[in-house]
Amino acid sequence: MTRTQRSYAIQLLLLAAIIVICVFPFYWMVTTSLKTQVVALQAPPAWIFEPTLQNYREALFEDGVGRSLINSLIIAVSTTALALVLGVPAAFALARFEFRGKRDLWFWFITNRMVSPIVLALPFFLIARNLDLLDRHITLVLIYLTFNLPIVIWIVTDQIRGIPYELDEAARMEGASQFTIMTRICLPLAMPGVAVSAIFSFIFSWNELMFGLILTRSEARTAPAMAVSFMEGYNLPYGKIMATSTLIVIPVLIFALLASKQLVRGLTMGAVK
Amino acid sequence: MNLKSMLCTTALVAATATAANAQSSTWSLAEAAAPYAGTTVDVVFLLRPGYDAIQEMLPAFTEETGININIVTHPYENALGEQVRDFVAGGDLDIALIDLVWIGNFAENEWIVPVEDIMARFPELVDPALDMDDFFPLVLNAFGGWDDTIYGLPFDNYSGLMFYNRCMLEEAGFDRPPETWQELMDVYGPALTGDGQYAFALQSKRNETQSADSFARMLWPFGGSFLDENFRSNLLSPESQAGLNFRQDLMQFMPDGIVAWDHAETVNAFAQGEVAMITEWSAFYSSIVDPETSRVVDCVGVAPEPTGPAGRRPALGGFSLAVAAQADEAEQAAAWLFIQWATSAANAVEYLQRGGVPARASAYADPALAETYTFIPALVESWAEGVPEFRPRFAEWPEISEVVQEWGTRMMLGEVSVEQGATEIGTRMEAILEASGYYSGDKPLAQ
Amino acid sequence: MRGRTSRKTIFAFIGPSVIALALIGIAPLIYAAWTSLHFFNLTRMRQFRFVGLDNYQTVLTDGAFWQAMGRTFFLLGTSLPLQLALGLGIALVLHQPGLTLVKTLCRLSLVLPMATTYAVVGLLGQVMFNQRFGVVNQLMGGANINWIGDPTNAFVMIIFWDVWQWTPFVALVLLAGLTMVPGEVEEAARLETKNWWTILRYVQLPFLVPGLVAVLILRTADTLKLFDMVFTLTRGGPGASTEFISLMIQRVGFRAFDQGLASAQAIILLAITIVLARIYIRVFYKEV
Repeated sequence: MTRTQRSYAIQLLLLAAIIVICVFPFYWMVTTSLKTQVVALQAPPAWIFEPTLQNYREALFEDGVGRSLINSLIIAVSTTALALVLGVPAAFALARFEFRGKRDLWFWFITNRMVSPIVLALPFFLIARNLDLLDRHITLVLIYLTFNLPIVIWIVTDQIRGIPYELDEAARMEGASQFTIMTRICLPLAMPGVAVSAIFSFIFSWNELMFGLILTRSEARTAPAMAVSFMEGYNLPYGKIMATSTLIVIPVLIFALLASKQLVRGLTMGAVK
Repeated sequence: MNLKSMLCTTALVAATATAANAQSSTWSLAEAAAPYAGTTVDVVFLLRPGYDAIQEMLPAFTEETGININIVTHPYENALGEQVRDFVAGGDLDIALIDLVWIGNFAENEWIVPVEDIMARFPELVDPALDMDDFFPLVLNAFGGWDDTIYGLPFDNYSGLMFYNRCMLEEAGFDRPPETWQELMDVYGPALTGDGQYAFALQSKRNETQSADSFARMLWPFGGSFLDENFRSNLLSPESQAGLNFRQDLMQFMPDGIVAWDHAETVNAFAQGEVAMITEWSAFYSSIVDPETSRVVDCVGVAPEPTGPAGRRPALGGFSLAVAAQADEAEQAAAWLFIQWATSAANAVEYLQRGGVPARASAYADPALAETYTFIPALVESWAEGVPEFRPRFAEWPEISEVVQEWGTRMMLGEVSVEQGATEIGTRMEAILEASGYYSGDKPLAQ
Repeated sequence: MRGRTSRKTIFAFIGPSVIALALIGIAPLIYAAWTSLHFFNLTRMRQFRFVGLDNYQTVLTDGAFWQAMGRTFFLLGTSLPLQLALGLGIALVLHQPGLTLVKTLCRLSLVLPMATTYAVVGLLGQVMFNQRFGVVNQLMGGANINWIGDPTNAFVMIIFWDVWQWTPFVALVLLAGLTMVPGEVEEAARLETKNWWTILRYVQLPFLVPGLVAVLILRTADTLKLFDMVFTLTRGGPGASTEFISLMIQRVGFRAFDQGLASAQAIILLAITIVLARIYIRVFYKEV
């Protein structure tokens, strides 16, 4: 074996190990979701068994997981859209305008991303209650802005700053307003950043648990909150819990895989500046 | 009406009930409910057998009354928080689901309406066959009562029972389950532990299971208690210490990691034949004898919990349903009709057959039932001997329970000694009670 | 030189998001600050009263609070180096030439853990690490390790899942940094030396620094926020061995219902977060 061949073999082995470690939990989740209660609780665990779709049938048709998935979708899409509408102009301003306190303002935006949701949970609950906003989609759409808006502003500001300022000047010479410059010049060039921040917003919103748990009850209950509600401690419906988990995770995984190119690029942008 | 105002409420209710009795032939649920048809009642349920049972029976109620019951299910561990938040915020719930340790809390905050008030407000809704005396008195008072007032009717009722694997016991040469805790430890423990099998499992996870099923269960039979008569910590008394040390010793006959076991793990280990004996709530009977989840169906034996030096002090737990104060008039009326129906003597046997455990003495009168549901004799016996303050039921319990959960598990893990742990719990418990004004005389010493 | 922009224009662009975030993010904080000065227990609303800084005093002198804080930073201190080391290793392997198809596949699989719902990771952990019917013990040759019920093992398990979920993130960020190294520079360096460490240290590292900084900031913030995965996996147990700061605040606020105390804890956590974020950004992130 030559040196290159050996190096390839080692590489291949490492890569295979990485792939297996990343993917195995999902394999186990899906197979467990196809097990009956008795098989799921078998020791040692079974690798070969007769699969059943019973868990999915129960989760979707009896326990309303389908509806909670729709809720999660509505909420994640709306909050992402709102974060973009609000965040992109702010990012443009931070990247292009000079004004006092800009640095502090930027810092404040970013700090919001760091705040633990538990800090906001109860006050937000009481406020939402007073405004009769409990168990409504809009409540989660708004509170998710506390972490989505900072993401959008962070990434898009960086992206716009990378666009040559001369382009703006040229447009201004021709009498374009700032708004036109943003939408016609910067936005198209900043699209990768916008896309990335949208992807992140969507994934974070889809996955959020604590606010979903506290601010919704039935009408707007999100998928992660739903999955947790099967953990009664009275029996171990692991098959059903894994079926629900699969249903929650599959859409976001597909989405992440489709967007993986932008996602990876986004990591470089928000991060690598 | 002068006379009426002089009567105490109880008498009034009695009078109403008698008046209603006189026309009992004409009282019907459908008629009583007619003005409230179309009302929706919101209630929190758990994912437990008793709730499934009533949900299966629910269509009949809705059809007869036109009242819709909107059920939101939560795991037990979230149910209190969910309801507290709703009541504090003046939310939608029309019925309170009350674990016996929540009753002081709900009653003191006036989130729930006493049964007498409801009866006085809606005399025409009181079923002449209600018969409050038919509830086991201990159960009614502990689950539904606070400070001599009844708020809720017992709905999902438990007593701690000992489930034992007759086959395993027989194989080890025992023809009966242990009578006392000491016997369980000294005789049954060594004989039944080994080869991956364990004599006993005591669910001890750090949540209400730790404080109710594990900590309190060992306190009482040995003569211990949480509080003495002055509401000071009694956890350092020789009796309490004996009980807690006994629990620590008994762990040698329990599976590893028992501190992380909740009901589910415990029942499952028993159902798989890995553990010979467990002390669990009566409600688990149905899953233990279900061939889909249990391999030991033919070996299940049920006995009352063992006795200690202080006698038999089985764990007591269970839920009542009460009308919520925040509901409007129609919702309160509809809520009452539902509660009355769900806990009625007339429905008790069906409830039992579907997997629930009613608190109606009349439901257990038929000896034939005890043959099918072998837990009945042990249950009835336990309800004759339980202590209502098995866990104090005052408003401070949730906070104190958190303390017990933390230090109780650390004690079991050996991170602190039994005495240290008891001291920590005692200090913190007294601080909570102090802040509430029990020691300054602002609050009566009721638990 | 950039031209001055009128206040009105600036406000039109930036105002909506400032107002939105102020209403949603700051209003609750003010409310929490106010709550933290009161005895405010949801189940004892009648005793509601102003207590000044009592709650803060309780928190600052509460051993359990600082233990939870210490535990949180201990988790950060153990899992972050692991993530950096493994992440760098993965990035270097992926950066090697050749085996394009397998590497694409690998990059795709790396995306999966990051995108997984955190609560689901915890649920998965329960299933896979169960002592009796968990696949992990089976794969370890029928080991009988008590993962969830033993304080040390439970902590190890949390580290495992944190590393599983976030190493890919680190790897992809660093990989992106590596691809920024101009090809000719790297090739020139490779002609000079065969030592990968020298290349890493002198050629590649400068391009990795910004990514490393971002990782440091985000992982610190996310560890302080860590809730979902632990909540569904161990709920902070056994004992208090995995009770991290966010779990503790949740327990005090929503299970013991002491909102005043929980708010004080939250405000202190917030202060710590802001100080850390300031330091990080001041030191590492000089832009704007």
